[in-house]
Amino acid sequence: MASTHNSIRQMVSPLLRRFQSLSLHAQNTSKPSLRPFSTSPTLLAKPERKRTGDPRVTLIRYHLQHPATPRPLKFSRMRALRHWTIHRAWQLFRRKKLGAEELELQRMYQSMHETMEVLRTMDAPGTKDAGRLYRVALEKKGIFGKGGVPVEYARLQTDTPGKEAWDHSWTR
Amino acid sequence: MSACQKAARPLTQCLRQSQASGQSVRTIRMFTSSSRLNEEAAVETVSFKPTLVLNPETVTSRKEEKKLMKTGVFPIGSRRRRAAIKTSDNIPFEQLPYQCFQEARKILQADREEKLELIAKERLRISNLMATDPATINGGERMKKTRLSSMNRHLEYLKIQADINDPLIKKRFEDGQGDMNKPIYRYLADRKWREYQRKIIVQRIEQLAIVPDVLPFFEPTAEVRLAFRTRNVQPGEFIDSRVSEVPARLKVQVFDKGERLVTIVVIDSDVPVVDKDAFTTRCHYLAANIPLSPTETSLPLSRATQEQLVHPWLPPFAQKGSPYHRYSVFVLQQKPGKTLDTAYAKEHIQPDGFSMRSFVDKFNLTPIGIGIFRSIWDEGTAGVMQRHGIEGADIEFKRKKVVALKPKQKARGWEARHASDKYKSLRR
Repeated sequence: MASTHNSIRQMVSPLLRRFQSLSLHAQNTSKPSLRPFSTSPTLLAKPERKRTGDPRVTLIRYHLQHPATPRPLKFSRMRALRHWTIHRAWQLFRRKKLGAEELELQRMYQSMHETMEVLRTMDAPGTKDAGRLYRVALEKKGIFGKGGVPVEYARLQTDTPGKEAWDHSWTR
Repeated sequence: MSACQKAARPLTQCLRQSQASGQSVRTIRMFTSSSRLNEEAAVETVSFKPTLVLNPETVTSRKEEKKLMKTGVFPIGSRRRRAAIKTSDNIPFEQLPYQCFQEARKILQADREEKLELIAKERLRISNLMATDPATINGGERMKKTRLSSMNRHLEYLKIQADINDPLIKKRFEDGQGDMNKPIYRYLADRKWREYQRKIIVQRIEQLAIVPDVLPFFEPTAEVRLAFRTRNVQPGEFIDSRVSEVPARLKVQVFDKGERLVTIVVIDSDVPVVDKDAFTTRCHYLAANIPLSPTETSLPLSRATQEQLVHPWLPPFAQKGSPYHRYSVFVLQQKPGKTLDTAYAKEHIQPDGFSMRSFVDKFNLTPIGIGIFRSIWDEGTAGVMQRHGIEGADIEFKRKKVVALKPKQKARGWEARHASDKYKSLRR
């Protein structure tokens, strides 16, 4: 604590110091009858400093405003503008790429959908093999691993969650 | 030109010449410090034309800066920046040789080209739709109108999207040099206003209950800045009556294109009525048919002509003892091409008991902006009232003491048990 006090005193501007000395002089002249006990000049006496505010705040402000504390890093105006330009371009580029990917996926889905439609309506109804290719194409045999079952079949698919989320009492 | 500047002129010339010649013969020190004859002659010829000796963009030495500041011009930016500008060749921003930046610009320019194509296409579509007969459109005239409006909206959107990624436009807007006739600058200004200033004014409207008291509903769409002489007024601020003695200056920024006519109304919504034990309203200023556009923003209320003026400025005054008065300055947009009959208004609209609702309904106006300030009795009010011939400066309003009908109840419960001074520390 003492070291910080010293450094704070170093920080005090000369103007303030002069003001303090002036005020000290004024005090001395107002009370001439009181002879000082010590012979050392009163100027060297430690001035009483008033403590104001929260010492933590004082310390924080002292350190933040100290010239040795580096200023916050900041782009210059033109550099910030260049940064902004690059940022906007990057966002635009990414958005366009994502949009293109989305479109490609849509196109693929539509194409599959059309193919299935063609398969479904290829044969006239009533013939023996009507819709056979369609059925074969929709088979999911083997795609969920060997002897696996698609996860959709594990539970009946519903539009909304059930009234009871999980039946804990169920046992086999 | 100031005397000291005149005096400093020869010195400036010396310095400039020595700078210009650099490391030449002139660096030889001379015996006398006074300038030579031929130099003086040169000074004479130069002093005829008032050239700016120092460029505020490139002064670097402390001396030069001081001299520049004496002439009233302040150096721009930091000394480091100025030195950099001085030594570098002045490349325009868009040609700065940074690879990533240039690539980014290429992408943005390509996007802009695309957007311009889209704009042209949309314009063509709109003109095609305008040319078609509504009978052939599925949905008729109404559908045609709907489609046209939505297409126009999309066109405006595209116009903004074409320019929104331009760094120079951003810079120009931040410097306040944007041309408000262009949609992009209006869009940026609107966005900036909505970020902070509009929120404040909306909050004041709610806090000071302007909305149910003066108008049934109101969404501000134009920025209104209010000032008395040089005193800027923050929304809802208390203003000294001596300050508001003169008519207010308004700066109204609208964010949609085109010229329109506006009506300005200043209304006090807290005028006490003693007989009825209630409050009423009073119109303090009313002027109509004032032209306003995105580029013409300044509206000093004192400048209204006799044809525009209905009720001249009545200085705000709040009598002693009355609670604070809310003064709202309304900017009301008139329907396009419609003017308000001020002669009729002068006859039929009384300032006392002025009703904003009926006024807006009667003349078919749309409120677009509002400025609010408050006023309360202060030491200058009596003088203001006397100067403007307003009576009632000697009246002081006082609250009527209402005697309770029920007798005061004795303390019960906890209060009664802790009534003695023994529990003084527990009491609040």
